[in-house]
Amino acid sequence: MSADTPTDTETGSAPGTGTDAGGGVDRRETRGFLGRLRASPFLSDLLSNRLAVVGLAIILAAVVVAVYARFGYDLNALTQSRLGTEVADRTPPGWIGPAAWNQHLFGTDAAARDIYKRCLFGAWLALKFGTITVSVSTVLGVSLGIIAAYYGDLTDNVVMRTMDVLLAFPSLLLALALVAIFPRELGLWRAVVALTLVYTPRFARVVRGAALTVLEDEYVDATVALGAADPRILARHVLPNTLAPVTVQSTLNFGLAIIDLAALSFLGFGAQAGTPSWGLMLSRGVDNGLLTGKWWLSFFPGLLLAVTVLGFNLLGDGMRDALDPRMREAID
Amino acid sequence: MASLRFVVKRLLLLVPVLFGVATLVFAILHLAPGDPARIIAGQRASTEQVNQVRRELGLTRPLYIQYLDFLTDAARFDFGKSYSISQGAPVRGVIADRLPVTFELAIFGQLAGIFIGLPLGVLSAVKQDSMTDHLTRVGALSGISIPIFWSGPLLILLFATYLGVLPTSGRIESTLFLPTHWEFMGRQLPLTGMITVDTLLLGRFDAFVSAARHLLMPSLVIGIYSTALISRMMRSSMLEVVRQDYMRTARAKGQGARITVMKHGFRNALIPVVTIIGIQFGTLLGGAVLTETVFGINGMGLTIVRAIGASDYPVVQGTVLTFALLFTLVTLVVDITYGYLDPRIQQ
Repeated sequence: MSADTPTDTETGSAPGTGTDAGGGVDRRETRGFLGRLRASPFLSDLLSNRLAVVGLAIILAAVVVAVYARFGYDLNALTQSRLGTEVADRTPPGWIGPAAWNQHLFGTDAAARDIYKRCLFGAWLALKFGTITVSVSTVLGVSLGIIAAYYGDLTDNVVMRTMDVLLAFPSLLLALALVAIFPRELGLWRAVVALTLVYTPRFARVVRGAALTVLEDEYVDATVALGAADPRILARHVLPNTLAPVTVQSTLNFGLAIIDLAALSFLGFGAQAGTPSWGLMLSRGVDNGLLTGKWWLSFFPGLLLAVTVLGFNLLGDGMRDALDPRMREAID
Repeated sequence: MASLRFVVKRLLLLVPVLFGVATLVFAILHLAPGDPARIIAGQRASTEQVNQVRRELGLTRPLYIQYLDFLTDAARFDFGKSYSISQGAPVRGVIADRLPVTFELAIFGQLAGIFIGLPLGVLSAVKQDSMTDHLTRVGALSGISIPIFWSGPLLILLFATYLGVLPTSGRIESTLFLPTHWEFMGRQLPLTGMITVDTLLLGRFDAFVSAARHLLMPSLVIGIYSTALISRMMRSSMLEVVRQDYMRTARAKGQGARITVMKHGFRNALIPVVTIIGIQFGTLLGGAVLTETVFGINGMGLTIVRAIGASDYPVVQGTVLTFALLFTLVTLVVDITYGYLDPRIQQ
């Protein structure tokens, strides 16, 4: 219903980006995917934006950490209580405690589990479920958006009015209400399904807007006149032209997905008890650590969560700045 | 009149959306697992008793009758009675109690965002590409990245647990009791439910101070996101305005730089910022759910979380629909305001 809401048009360029580079970009006729990438003004703009590069570095580091934790740690040891073998609620070393520096770097929780390892494993869970949520909602949103734009009329109305209904809820609330449908045993998967439905309309709206612009171009009419079939037009002409805003939207949405997944776990509607997810660890931190001053229960999982999300936001922001200004208007 | 037609058109478009919203809420809760009759009757009730409750709730009727009933009831804002979390109380009353609490939190959060975000945005734009600018921009991106359920606990740990200068949770000192009505010109009037306003109406300054101290951290936490968005928007909007001809004209007339920025720049740059303040109202409502959970504030957000946890469907239906209605109305007002400020939008 608010397809015409104003969008954030960042006009300032980051240090060193200098818009002057845009006019003088060498537009050689280059062959091959890599060659085209290298010649693209978008990529050179993006890579000369220091903040975006920092964001990319954070994301890569998070991926390395996540994969390391996934294959290096035993999930059972991180999920089950270690009471009896380890000390519960141990302060991080170097913080009023006698523990050696390499023992439980981030301390231990109420069930004597190592918070450092749990935090690293949390990166795996966040990235895995974040990736699934964002990719499925992107694919769904892109398909719906393109179909709505291309077929127009009734199809457009049915699809977009349905999206309007989904957009009429504050996102976290819709996710909460949807989560209620699924049985508890599904754990984080029910949060994934709920958030996928919450995010899909955003992609559909962005893509529909971009696709409508493309469809007005004359070459599409020419392709139709040449007798191209619908699937060919959609796949060869419409889809590629919507990829840029979709990529930016996905990147920015990735940060949001990580926060929202953690939020649902935090509220008790996501990961099952014992799972080393950041949201659940923060929830335990509030239950067990706030009044007793056990700051490390909350501090470390939240720090990793915030830094990872910041990585996606820095990169997404840089991508938006590097994009064609016309495209910027399509993304909120 | 063009703008009146625009408003009417937007209002008419609202009807199918709200209809869809109500249908979705009905569908969600009928798909949800758990038997409402069993929840009300209790675990130890016999099958006979449960069936009795089921008949009383009208759950034995055909689904389409239940749906039509739900729609008519929803239109009258009647969602029945709470199953468990406020057992037996009408949902309408529960909402009336809790909505002002959330409203107050949202207003103070938004005020925090405006009073911190606007100056930061202006500063950032005026000193473009300076150290201040970079710090503000990175700060704003960090503000969007920090979840409420992290910043909240950290503030509580610092200011309540370690320094002991602010209370941990709740809305007011538990030893203070407030009456339910206040007297104005000899008449008994109901209170607003917003505790800072109520304590002032009652002239209880001790209670007001307590309420304000309780509200300080939650408003800051919920306001971080607004602060970040507003400062970003203000910066880019200000940079755009500074390039306009009338700014150069004002300076050419000999007007000082500071006055030009404040008088011409700031006021014009505010237009898009005003709309962003409205647009992110929905985020604020979502933020209220988390903030109220962290700080133990009994508003709409905490009520929704508890109701979903306890399968208290009438309360879930009522609160979720209320939030959706509020959100839709605010979006509508923003659209209309924007159309008014920028007539090109109307076409």
